[in-house]
Amino acid sequence: MPFSRLDSSAISRTLAQVADEATDVADSFFERREDIELQADGSPGMRVWREEGFAIRLMRQDTTWLAARDGISPEVFQQALRRVARAMPRTAVSTPPLNVEPWTSRPEASEIQAFPSAVVRAVKAHRVSFPFELTVRRHRRWVRTIGTRLASGCEAETFYSIVSTLPWGRHGALVPDLRERSAETLASNLVRSHLARDAAPPEPYQGVLVLGHAATAVLLHEAVAHALEADILSRSGHPEAAIGVQMGSPLLNIFDDPASAPKGVRRTSDDEGFPVIRRCLLRAGVVEQPLCDTIFARCSERLSAGAGRRGSRHWAPTPRSFHLELAPGDTTSQDLVSDAEGGLYLPEADRGYLDPLSGRFTLHFPYGRRIRNRVPEEPVGPCRLQAQVSDLLDKVRGVGAEVHAAGAGWCAKGGVKLPVWATAPELRLEGLEVTP
Amino acid sequence: MKIDPVLFDTLDALARDGWEEAEVFAKKGRSRTLHFSLSHPVTSLRQEEGWAARAGDGRKSFFYAAHGTPVPDTLWPEADGKGLRLATARPIPQWNVPSSLDAPLVGESEAQALFEGLARELDHEFPGARLLAGHLDDGSSESQLVSRREAVAIYRHRVAALMVEATAPGGRQQRHGPLSQTLTMVAKDARQLNPKAIARRLADRLLIAQRGQAPHRDRGEFLLAPDVFVPLLSALTPLWIGPKADQRAAAVADLAGRLGSRALTLIDDGRLPGGILEAPTDGEGQPTRRTVIIEEGVYQQPLLSWSQTPSRPALASGCCHRPSWRDLPVQGPSHLYLKPDETTSVASLLSGLSRGYYLLSCDGVPQIDFEKRRFRLPVSGFAIADGQPTGSISRAELTGTLPALLSGIQAKARDLTFFMASVGLIGSPTIRLRGLELRSRA
Repeated sequence: MPFSRLDSSAISRTLAQVADEATDVADSFFERREDIELQADGSPGMRVWREEGFAIRLMRQDTTWLAARDGISPEVFQQALRRVARAMPRTAVSTPPLNVEPWTSRPEASEIQAFPSAVVRAVKAHRVSFPFELTVRRHRRWVRTIGTRLASGCEAETFYSIVSTLPWGRHGALVPDLRERSAETLASNLVRSHLARDAAPPEPYQGVLVLGHAATAVLLHEAVAHALEADILSRSGHPEAAIGVQMGSPLLNIFDDPASAPKGVRRTSDDEGFPVIRRCLLRAGVVEQPLCDTIFARCSERLSAGAGRRGSRHWAPTPRSFHLELAPGDTTSQDLVSDAEGGLYLPEADRGYLDPLSGRFTLHFPYGRRIRNRVPEEPVGPCRLQAQVSDLLDKVRGVGAEVHAAGAGWCAKGGVKLPVWATAPELRLEGLEVTP
Repeated sequence: MKIDPVLFDTLDALARDGWEEAEVFAKKGRSRTLHFSLSHPVTSLRQEEGWAARAGDGRKSFFYAAHGTPVPDTLWPEADGKGLRLATARPIPQWNVPSSLDAPLVGESEAQALFEGLARELDHEFPGARLLAGHLDDGSSESQLVSRREAVAIYRHRVAALMVEATAPGGRQQRHGPLSQTLTMVAKDARQLNPKAIARRLADRLLIAQRGQAPHRDRGEFLLAPDVFVPLLSALTPLWIGPKADQRAAAVADLAGRLGSRALTLIDDGRLPGGILEAPTDGEGQPTRRTVIIEEGVYQQPLLSWSQTPSRPALASGCCHRPSWRDLPVQGPSHLYLKPDETTSVASLLSGLSRGYYLLSCDGVPQIDFEKRRFRLPVSGFAIADGQPTGSISRAELTGTLPALLSGIQAKARDLTFFMASVGLIGSPTIRLRGLELRSRA
């Protein structure tokens, strides 16, 4: 752990020199990252990015000042501290020792090189053949937050992003590891996409929709998590006002729990150093605890910090979800598609968008299947679902009993790209319209 | 400006390791950002510094990027994949560093004043509207590059980018609460951003969104603001960039081989005087230049990198950019723009419009079907009669064939405006055109 030997007391004392008002909060965020990528086109071969740096933040009342630097040394730490200071301390600013473990090993990621052939084998096992290229990247990140009031432990994340380039489009995925199961899941998704590649989009349809695990996860992220982020809520009022609002069907119990995320990306503290909590976003469809970071939690006794995330040291934290969970219901997969003749089974959603002001929500599906005789049958092409968030969540009529880790992907809210994870069952919606 | 010797040391280290092809790139920069929001403003000062090396031979290669200054004794990754060939140095024409690069970054209080002025002007232009969020980023950078093919380059950039979002109560057309409109713009210096002009543009858009009616299917004449024509130019980059661009363009040209009207002159200029990204070289150390892609409707040549025209190097432009030290060179325009008419104002174009539409904003992504040679663009703006607005239109779609779009350009104004593209900048003045169709997308 590169930051385990940082002297948190000395750093905290140094930060205290600029936090000179009673309610000031000052903290430092140390970050190291390593990405290794094998490109599909192989030019150039292995790509490696290694970087580290830090940011110092001062929050005073409702204003934040941030100074971010590439590289870590006592000298640049002192310079950054001066940048956020509102008034220079009367005595010279002390410089804390910053004992960071150096990079010692040669960049290496042999598991990346083996993965494409595992996917090829898994696709062949489906007895289909089509051309595709994979770009696989391993992402590793170590962070530690040390402030005047809190000092977290060193947190580490490792995961992989995979971009599959197919003749009919691109398919992206995030996985916590590159084991055989990940290769098989990716292969299944590619095969489904292959079988639906020439399918015509469905005619406008209103009726039963059954969302697969991955599509449900995207819906949760876009329609529930974003809608309950304190900064988004603050655009139309006080975030606290959302607590207690019936936002969706009583079947919906939704949590954000970074500590139960897939192994490799689990977190015990957020990017502000706060211990994470199992945050109940919706209990029986009622808003219980919006996603909140320090700056919003400071203004409310009912909002809890612990969901502050940073895209990198160069960005201030904002409230974001990390690992969403929809609690399982009691409906079997077979019952979800019962009485749904002519309905649509939509296994994946490739993107979604919530207009935070109007509450208008759009979810795009790359393909789906028409339900015939209680079974998802012939493929249909790309389609989309548009509705008001409240209408959409109110139309949930069944929650599957079986949950899967699914729907991981990149969230790029405000241009800040972060990985998000989810564990979700299938979902049955009724009375919503899907259009081509 | 002088190359940091550590770049040469690192290049030497790669040469000692036996790499025939090697290049070291370094970039450092600083930026001040003010993020304005109703609840919590954030002021950031970032200093970034990093470097990257590419090395390889005919069979294998690697790319390595890291923070800080180049380190000659780096533990390089194993080379893999395809081989690497780098650009041979070419003479760089005389270059005078623009003095505007030395202007200090916008101060925190200046940035706050911009947003305060904007909020005030917006309230004046459109009572009831308010600024919801804004993001001002003002930065400067210096890039250096050396390679084993004798390329030695150093250049600086200065860019300010602004995003503002405003909201207003929804009108009868908006069944679901308030509406919002977003504007993005780019300038060399944040001090060039004019709050009054920005507020007017925001107010126009809010007004159109609030009161606009979906149009009936109609043809006629159109004025397209830069905000509308630039997304189309950007979506048509396969016709302007790359070795097969001329073939694609030929499929859109008429039987006489003409691609557009006489008013269509399309240029990319990496040395555009006063341009936001003006520089003597690109991200591979190749000299930038002015490339005329279309002259008075006749296709001249596409934008090509050095590797795409090995037998005729004079056709190449320095057009491989490195937005950050983390990025590999990526081909794209520097300042790609439709040549304006310096003698014509937007007002004179508007007054000459007897019946038609002034389209002010693009409300989504253009859809281009190169096979069918057609396009669709979601737009909004004003209906015009005798040079005067008669009503606002929204939820509209401008559509037609690509030949009609390019050959329908009748006149241009002088208000050349650039927008950030995925790579580089693309610009256009307001244009008047005909031969297209407006329809409802309600």
